[in-house]
Amino acid sequence: MSSAFLWILLPIAVGAALLLYRRKDDTPLYLAIGLSFILTWIAWQFPIDVVLQLGSISIEIAPTLTFLGRNFTLAETQRLLLTFIYLAQTLWLLGAFLTRPGQLFPGLSLIAVGLFMAALAVQPFLYAALFLAAAFLVWVPLLVPPGTQPGRGMQRALIFLLFSVPCILFTGWLLTGVEGNPGNFELVLRAGLLMALGFSFLLALFPFHSWVPMLAQETAPYVLGFLTFFLRAVALIFLLSFVERYVWLRDNPAIFQLLLAMGSLGVFLGGVWASQQRHLGRMMAFAGMLATGGLLQAIGLGGAVGLQTFFALLLPQAWVLWALAASLAVLHRHTPSLQLEELGPALRRHPLLALTAVAALVALAGLPLLGPFAAHLAIWHGVGQQSVGLLILSFLGSLGLLAGGLRLLHAWLTAAPEPRAPVGPVERLPFSQRPDMANPYVWVFSLIWLVTLLGYGLLPSFLAPVQRLVLMFPQVFQ
Amino acid sequence: MADFVGTLAVLLLLITSLYVLVNQDWRWAVAALGLQYVWAFVLLLQAWPAELAVVKLVTGWIAASVLGLTRLNLPQLTTPEGNVPSGRVFRLLAAGLVILMVLGAAPRLTEWSRAFGIYQAWGGLLLLGMGLMQLALRNGFFRTALGLLTLFSGFEILYAVVEGSTLVTGLLTAVNLGIALVCAYLLTAPTLETEE
Repeated sequence: MSSAFLWILLPIAVGAALLLYRRKDDTPLYLAIGLSFILTWIAWQFPIDVVLQLGSISIEIAPTLTFLGRNFTLAETQRLLLTFIYLAQTLWLLGAFLTRPGQLFPGLSLIAVGLFMAALAVQPFLYAALFLAAAFLVWVPLLVPPGTQPGRGMQRALIFLLFSVPCILFTGWLLTGVEGNPGNFELVLRAGLLMALGFSFLLALFPFHSWVPMLAQETAPYVLGFLTFFLRAVALIFLLSFVERYVWLRDNPAIFQLLLAMGSLGVFLGGVWASQQRHLGRMMAFAGMLATGGLLQAIGLGGAVGLQTFFALLLPQAWVLWALAASLAVLHRHTPSLQLEELGPALRRHPLLALTAVAALVALAGLPLLGPFAAHLAIWHGVGQQSVGLLILSFLGSLGLLAGGLRLLHAWLTAAPEPRAPVGPVERLPFSQRPDMANPYVWVFSLIWLVTLLGYGLLPSFLAPVQRLVLMFPQVFQ
Repeated sequence: MADFVGTLAVLLLLITSLYVLVNQDWRWAVAALGLQYVWAFVLLLQAWPAELAVVKLVTGWIAASVLGLTRLNLPQLTTPEGNVPSGRVFRLLAAGLVILMVLGAAPRLTEWSRAFGIYQAWGGLLLLGMGLMQLALRNGFFRTALGLLTLFSGFEILYAVVEGSTLVTGLLTAVNLGIALVCAYLLTAPTLETEE
């Protein structure tokens, strides 16, 4: 059995099978959670490329699968990443109990994660762009559910994300030429520009970011959150593969300066725009832009420090973005719009989720004592050593998102009390209709999330073993 | 002979892509898209064996059919841009700009890398430019699909020269079909039954 079969083909096949299930119950969700959890556990416990003896049976997970003449490799060094991605997938599936993103969610999320894993496994790694495009195309029926009118955000997302494919594939070809002729400045410049363009489209960086906030107004926050989180995480790891693979990229300080500048711009613009939003979905979109900017800044720091900071930030960000998307999704189900002016009654009815959303926004901004703070501190330290101007931009961005979080807090605290609905005792209502205080699922979700966020903020060394993720990129790490 | 075929293929690509860009009638636009894939196939034959190149042709025809059948089942819409002559003139001028750029860029591309033949460079860049114009100047998911498929055709003509892997061919085929299917879904989504 190969690792690619286990973590790519199996989820895609099961996901496709789950799409055929027509009854309106939670069976696909339970099955998808079960599979995701098992795949997480196997990734965590079973070494790849080692023969394991279980009684009379010997099991070996081979690292490579050959398909149509190309290799799909998930090696032992990537096992921790596999664990992380499937754990994240399990969390997003568990969140579906609260958010109810649709009957297709379990099946399509398995297929999408299988495609994201294929993007990380395919050799040559440049073909990853095609798998990322395929994952996005698969996700469209969730972004625009049947019976709804797709908007301009969807149209723009389709165009911008697919633009990245030709850019990145051609970059790969040009980079091969650069390897053979590193002194050719014109070639290096063209390859660099095309690569920057391709990743700007893929990561929705300024000025190609507009589809994310537009789509955030048109679609369910949880569905968009899933797509943007996985797409950006995998695309950034893909970007690191570029740096790892090509010596001239790794040895060129200008590339890291460019990444640092683009990241700082993303943090600044994401934060400042987030502070101006009155629509919570758009605020989440700009918070995501700031988060991506922070991760780019970490890569831009370069070397071992940058790589360690990148993974130290990616994990708490995943935790925070998941909770933010889940909170907004539940609020979205109980209100016609996520405009702050119209959210009052929903915020009063769901104080725990409102608190979670506020905490998530300020945590993403880098507030001390909360999860991502330690990594933000390392980034600010590194950026400050290289450019005070970029450090100021980063602070302004963080302050902007902080202001956005406080704006939500203000809207919550000043909301008029909810008019009493003429219904019986809340215990008789289904869980999805109950207010937060009477909903044990929301209690469990919010408490575990907040305690973990604080715990990681106070004891950042808790996730120190995760730093082994840097071993995937030994050249960059050196 | 090869020069004649190459020149003819590029000229026919120009006519079909121009027609897709300027024309209002979706039926003729889909037909022109289907024909466009034939001329793209002719250019692909210069880099790939026929059995691999024909995959692109069949994929293109399936994509065009999917879009055509979907559009056929939708009510006829009259768009504000429908019969405004200035809109067509503007698109023609924009197409002229693309042609000028392609005439300048294609020879430089072949000088820069000997891998590209001049007809592939002309054809590939022309479709890339026309696809971009389609995406920039036309609204709606039907036109977006036409633009993206045209753009990817151009890209594939150029990329075929540098990459002949079966996996990439398969993945690009999947992406092309995905574009057609997704746009067909987006066109019909408002008329579909809601989930709950």
